[in-house]
Amino acid sequence: MDDDDGEGVINAAVMVKLEPDLSEGNVSYNPDGTLNRSQTKNILGPHSAIACRAAMYAKVCYDAWVGACSMGPPTAEIALKDAMVICCADELHLYSDRIFAGADTLATAETIKHGIMKMGRRIDLVFSGHRAVDGETGQTGPQTAWKLGFNFIGNVIEYSIDLRSRMINARRKVDLPGLYTIIEDVECPLPALIALDPSYRDNYRKVSERLRYARLEKEARKRAEDYKSYLRIWSAKDLGVDVRYIGLAGSPTIVYKVEKIPKAKASRRAKVVDPNNVEELREIGNLILNIALGER
Amino acid sequence: MDRFDAVIVGGGSAGLAALMELSKLGIQAVLLESGKPIGSKSVTGGILYSKNYPNGKVYNVEDIYPDFLDEAPVERRITRYYLNALSGSKVYTVDLSEAHEYRTNFAYSVLMSRLNKWFAARAEEEAAKMGGGIIEGVHVRDIVWMDDGRGSRNSIIVTDELEEFGARAIIAADGVNSEVALISNARGKFEPEALYQGVKCIVRLPEDVMDERFNISSDEGVAHLFAGDISKGHNGGGFLYTNRDTLSVGLVYHLDSLLKSPIEPYNLLNEFLTIPVVTNYIVDEVAVPKELDRTLPKEEQLRIRFGLSRLLKQYEELRYTYYSKHARLDAIRRGLYSNEDEIKTRLEEVRGRLEREYGVTFAKNYVEMEYSCKLVPDGKRAMMGKPYKNNILFIGDAAGKGIFLGTRIEGINIGIDDAARAARAVAMAKKMNNFSEDYMGRYYTQLVEESPYTDDIRRIDFEYMKIFVRACGNIPLEPFPLFLRLAFMLIQKTAVQELAAAIARMMAQSTLLKIIESNDAYVRIPMEVARKVGSEVKPIAEVRPLSIDERIARLKIREDEVPHIRIKDPRSRFIKAMVHLCPTRCYMMEASEEMEGKEEVGKGEGVKTEARLKAVVSNVILQHEGCIECGTCSGETEWRHTRGEKGIVYEYG
Repeated sequence: MDDDDGEGVINAAVMVKLEPDLSEGNVSYNPDGTLNRSQTKNILGPHSAIACRAAMYAKVCYDAWVGACSMGPPTAEIALKDAMVICCADELHLYSDRIFAGADTLATAETIKHGIMKMGRRIDLVFSGHRAVDGETGQTGPQTAWKLGFNFIGNVIEYSIDLRSRMINARRKVDLPGLYTIIEDVECPLPALIALDPSYRDNYRKVSERLRYARLEKEARKRAEDYKSYLRIWSAKDLGVDVRYIGLAGSPTIVYKVEKIPKAKASRRAKVVDPNNVEELREIGNLILNIALGER
Repeated sequence: MDRFDAVIVGGGSAGLAALMELSKLGIQAVLLESGKPIGSKSVTGGILYSKNYPNGKVYNVEDIYPDFLDEAPVERRITRYYLNALSGSKVYTVDLSEAHEYRTNFAYSVLMSRLNKWFAARAEEEAAKMGGGIIEGVHVRDIVWMDDGRGSRNSIIVTDELEEFGARAIIAADGVNSEVALISNARGKFEPEALYQGVKCIVRLPEDVMDERFNISSDEGVAHLFAGDISKGHNGGGFLYTNRDTLSVGLVYHLDSLLKSPIEPYNLLNEFLTIPVVTNYIVDEVAVPKELDRTLPKEEQLRIRFGLSRLLKQYEELRYTYYSKHARLDAIRRGLYSNEDEIKTRLEEVRGRLEREYGVTFAKNYVEMEYSCKLVPDGKRAMMGKPYKNNILFIGDAAGKGIFLGTRIEGINIGIDDAARAARAVAMAKKMNNFSEDYMGRYYTQLVEESPYTDDIRRIDFEYMKIFVRACGNIPLEPFPLFLRLAFMLIQKTAVQELAAAIARMMAQSTLLKIIESNDAYVRIPMEVARKVGSEVKPIAEVRPLSIDERIARLKIREDEVPHIRIKDPRSRFIKAMVHLCPTRCYMMEASEEMEGKEEVGKGEGVKTEARLKAVVSNVILQHEGCIECGTCSGETEWRHTRGEKGIVYEYG
């Protein structure tokens, strides 16, 4: 790996996660309401995808080098491949080792910290999603920042970087439910870790940015076809982590209670109908027919 | 601020050719197109020609895209060209294939929306090599010029979607309703006399049925033009071109003729579709579902509806596969079916089920896929004398180009030729570092003047006319006015042909045009000819054309809450004509009451003001939501294209 630490160059990392596809129709539940992981397809998490879009923005606008990383089972390389399509990553890093299993957010942050430190570059900016859809805590990002000693900005909806002064300007959205929403503009020096708000929108307003985006998008698709040549899989030994701080051993979290997974917000409501109940069937027939005939 | 050597406004066939050529010449160029995806706002009649001239070079489509002939998604190679004179159910057909072949390398029927996507992919690839490219979904709102203090002027492009950016040269390829032309004051709006309104519908017909009906092989195509009593006395005519598995059927009228006695273009189109000769070309077997028995339980009605629509879809797919050589072979190659017989058996099986289980009958009708409308600049009246302004060069429709002379209809090829010349002018300007009007503009004009097309637009090509008249050798000359009769007689006699042409050449162009584009030529003569020598055509079936509401419902329009058209005077004659002429009925008449002066009635505390009804007046109101951006109404409105990504999205175009 080349050492590219010159002024004005941004090296970015984006942390992504393989998550169950919780979109309607793709998810499978156990009878007790918990997730049936073996039956549910895994994809790049939607919040991770947003982080990737932000990383692409850095690539398009600031010519950043981007490394995508993930901790997970070997199948998580699919998440990295998907991430590559979005952010045109230059390298993919998968931290995969049996010993990482059972990690809570703190232990995950420890692993990712070591991964990022071993990317072979001085990383200036790390992107993380808002939270995982199967974890919900939203702690991994901030904890990684804390472990790395980076500044942290959460709920980012827009950002820009001043390459000369090496400062990042971010606009963050702070929702105070029932009160109001605050939009904050904050500034902090690099290195930093930013967690993207779900409402993050990349906004390419310059012709040169649009052109570069189109070019990188094409490049990304090309790279993803051959993603394995960009991929490096790291074991705990490779990373040189202290086993006391990772995996189950390094996880202080005690799972107090597991809530049933809130079902995906469906665009339609479902009701189970007994096929032998003519009354109920008639009701449905009427409903659909009214829609079909436009007699709402 | 970003700055580019060349910015092209508009991603039609001309703009894309300009991008391709500029990139080949080593210039970084950016093309802006408001539609997304590119091509979604492009419409043509249409036939794309490649031409050759003994006295000069034209840049053809295959010169711009070297793999055009092998890979472009064109429809059929048009090898036969006919003019049909109509009167009632009588038709007299003149074979104009020789005139069509005149100076022609090849001619293909095309669907512009699809072809432009292919052009765009090629041009973008080439442009990327120079650091340029295509940006979709961007609408240019304004262009600002600033003196740079050294004698030349910098231009800044303002869009609805992006930050401002600079351009050294601008190529305006934004079509017949060019906004760039108006922003830069390069010309006024085209007069109605210089415009045609064309409406078209795409009719689906299985490939093999088409081959048989038009008596062509699967690589050939036919073009039919129509004149006579189809127009309700307006100047214009109809066309029908064969595509791969669709037909382009439509009408083109002089806009001034339409404005004189406004008539709904879609009604004209519907009447055209029901003329026996046209009906016989477009008719197809269509499944007609039985009227649903409303007394059945609703669950049963629903079951029938769902089952039927699924089976119908299956039937249609099978039918278009079976009756198309290409699709059939493709399906077998992909392993969907083992052989042709299997497709046939499946088709019959599904058809049988439709008849037995759902009581479907099969009747003759036609299948309309897409309705579209476009304004076409009539080159001989619309062509800009000075196709430049400041650092802008105008090409194609934006420059008012097009050869329209009776049966000779060319537009796309001329836009492409313009594009290649504009690209060369920009390249030269860059080399000399002079993008001024005096240098680049004039140089471009010089290049355009060298184009044989320019000559063809300005002057009637008598060689073509001779071929045309010869082709009309068998028609009776009695209906012709004296002068024309004489001319035809002379030209048809080989001995005095040259003499006749020489006499015609001496006459002023405008005098000749008055004859060629007279109502006589468009309507009366074809009718008389058809009546006298035409043969009776019996309709093999009756078709039921779609209503305008059904047509609009089938279009994909991304509504914009901001209107892009503003009426200036809701009571003007022109705007009132739009109530009829708008192809998607966006204009409506609304009666409103006009009150006169307020009068005080009563005294003291009981003072009341009273207004007297002066008159009930009719105002025209506009609903821009159904607009398909043809520009018919642009003459007396503040007319702009829709903002990026909004508005009409054509699938065929």
